[in-house]
Amino acid sequence: MSEALLRVEKVEVVYKRVITAVQGVTLSVGPKQIVAILGTNGAGKTTTLRAVSGFLGLDDARVTEGTISFEGRRIENAPPHDIAARGIVLVPERDKVFPNLTVAENLAVPVSRASAAERRRQDEQIYSLFPRLAQLRQRIGGLLSGGERQMLAIAAALTCRPSLLLVDELSLGLAPVVVQDLTRRLLTVRDELGIAILLVEQSAAAALTIADHAYVMENGRIVLDGDREQLKSHQDVQEFYLGQASGERRSYRTVKQYRRSRRWYG
Amino acid sequence: MFRPPPRASGYFRTGYGQDLALVQTKAERISLVVFLLILAGFPFIASPFALDLACQVFLASVGALSLMLLTGYAGQISLGHAGLIAAGAFTTGILAREIHAPFWVTLPASAVTGIVLGFVFGLPSLRLRGLYLAVSTLALHFVVIYLGGEYETKRGFSTGIIVEPPNLAGVSLSGGRFWYFVLLAAAAVSLLICINLLRSRSGRAFRAVHARETVAEALGISIAGYKLLAFVISSSMTSVAGCLFAYYRGFVSVEAFDLFLTIQYVAMIIIGGMGSLLGALLGAAFVTLFPYAIEALLHLLPNVEKLAGDIFAVNYASFGVVMILFLIFEPLGLVGIWHRLQNYFLLWPFKYRPLAGARK
Repeated sequence: MSEALLRVEKVEVVYKRVITAVQGVTLSVGPKQIVAILGTNGAGKTTTLRAVSGFLGLDDARVTEGTISFEGRRIENAPPHDIAARGIVLVPERDKVFPNLTVAENLAVPVSRASAAERRRQDEQIYSLFPRLAQLRQRIGGLLSGGERQMLAIAAALTCRPSLLLVDELSLGLAPVVVQDLTRRLLTVRDELGIAILLVEQSAAAALTIADHAYVMENGRIVLDGDREQLKSHQDVQEFYLGQASGERRSYRTVKQYRRSRRWYG
Repeated sequence: MFRPPPRASGYFRTGYGQDLALVQTKAERISLVVFLLILAGFPFIASPFALDLACQVFLASVGALSLMLLTGYAGQISLGHAGLIAAGAFTTGILAREIHAPFWVTLPASAVTGIVLGFVFGLPSLRLRGLYLAVSTLALHFVVIYLGGEYETKRGFSTGIIVEPPNLAGVSLSGGRFWYFVLLAAAAVSLLICINLLRSRSGRAFRAVHARETVAEALGISIAGYKLLAFVISSSMTSVAGCLFAYYRGFVSVEAFDLFLTIQYVAMIIIGGMGSLLGALLGAAFVTLFPYAIEALLHLLPNVEKLAGDIFAVNYASFGVVMILFLIFEPLGLVGIWHRLQNYFLLWPFKYRPLAGARK
């Protein structure tokens, strides 16, 4: 894809100037594409997402090598509000809504240059995407359930009018039914608003129902990538991420070693 | 975290505009009018002493509202509040004394002083948080008090600066009733400014920065800008309160602005209830009237003459005790009690609201 919206090239991230968290990560997100990053805890998924959103700086981490470009312009190590202004908005893993503001106020927080009439139209659009939020307009954020919070966070991010939405752990702490509902809504967001989405997920099953393309990370590196069908039918992904054992069980460790050696030494 | 109590039943909003109305139901309108009538009639039946108390409450309300804006909403702790009131009072005192400036010069001048001080002493908030920020704002207090004290000694007003009452078209404006209405208006205007500010983009940004700084930044809010804005608005309001204080008392002296005054303002917003404008007003009334109430209670005791010398100590001590009791038993403050009371009557004879969706 030459006209990729977001292009992450051989990125290396170092925390506190000593700890390397990810290395040589290369990925791209095309316009109107849904891309997922899969992997277990500590694989470097969130770090990659934070590198894109500019939040690394808050944890005393930096992109030390490689480039991140968005719409052709370099954005690595730019501050978060700057990146948000360019059209990349992050839905964080936790602490994502303002507990002291009502749902309506939460939605009005994001900075936008839209006129009052446009905002009204935008509100209507968001409430039609998430009818539940319309019922909860006057409820304060702190009293919402987990699923409602996730909806509100996505809706608030959408009011920034992003061209790329970053979603960290959509399924975290949510019931499978709720996850299903939310993934379906993300699909609608992509189809109706034309927004590209980069998902970070542990739940491969959820991510692979909507992602066009996915990357699998292990130990700070990308070890596998492909489109949805390729990954769904891939034996290792089936066994370790989708929980479908085929034949005799192999140890996760041996496969990991084998993958890595194939990728880095051979 | 407070919610307005459930609205009167049978009242439905049919448009976005109605969400924004300040007075929403007929009952609210009626009670507001009755309250205003009581406030308007009060000075004509009250004794001069009660009138003075009311004026003090209004003055304290302006200060408490501005501190609530900064601390209760924007989440920035400040211990420079007495310093800011002093800054407004001294600006007024010095201008009135040195160049005989009329009040329409001293009032905006005090506001500008507040803006400048708020900006300068808001700068540390970009880097410091919590206790560290509190200590840095404490510096503001000492700087202002030092400068005020220097001025007093250099010019030979060692006991304080006398401020003539303002005059309009040759008529000197003084008298209890006049000041009652001026200070009532000042408190009402401050309240309206706060209400509307909090409903605006800036107000939401203040609360967003308070709750989750990083999320706010991700959504494109300039944290530094809004923190400074909160300091600037709050400080200018406080300085204007200082200006009014100078005219009302007719006298400015550094002794009036000690650290205990700062503590009193912090106590007002804690006792009133953090994050609530009503709380600021209730707190201002409570803390202002508290010492007088204690004094009145002491006079009921037998052999009160023997205690006369200890009255200040008793006041300070009981103030401390009340603070501690509030922190332990009612962290939501007076406004928490008020909301519980409201809910009690709204839900009566039930105790709790039913499970959502139970009636279907």
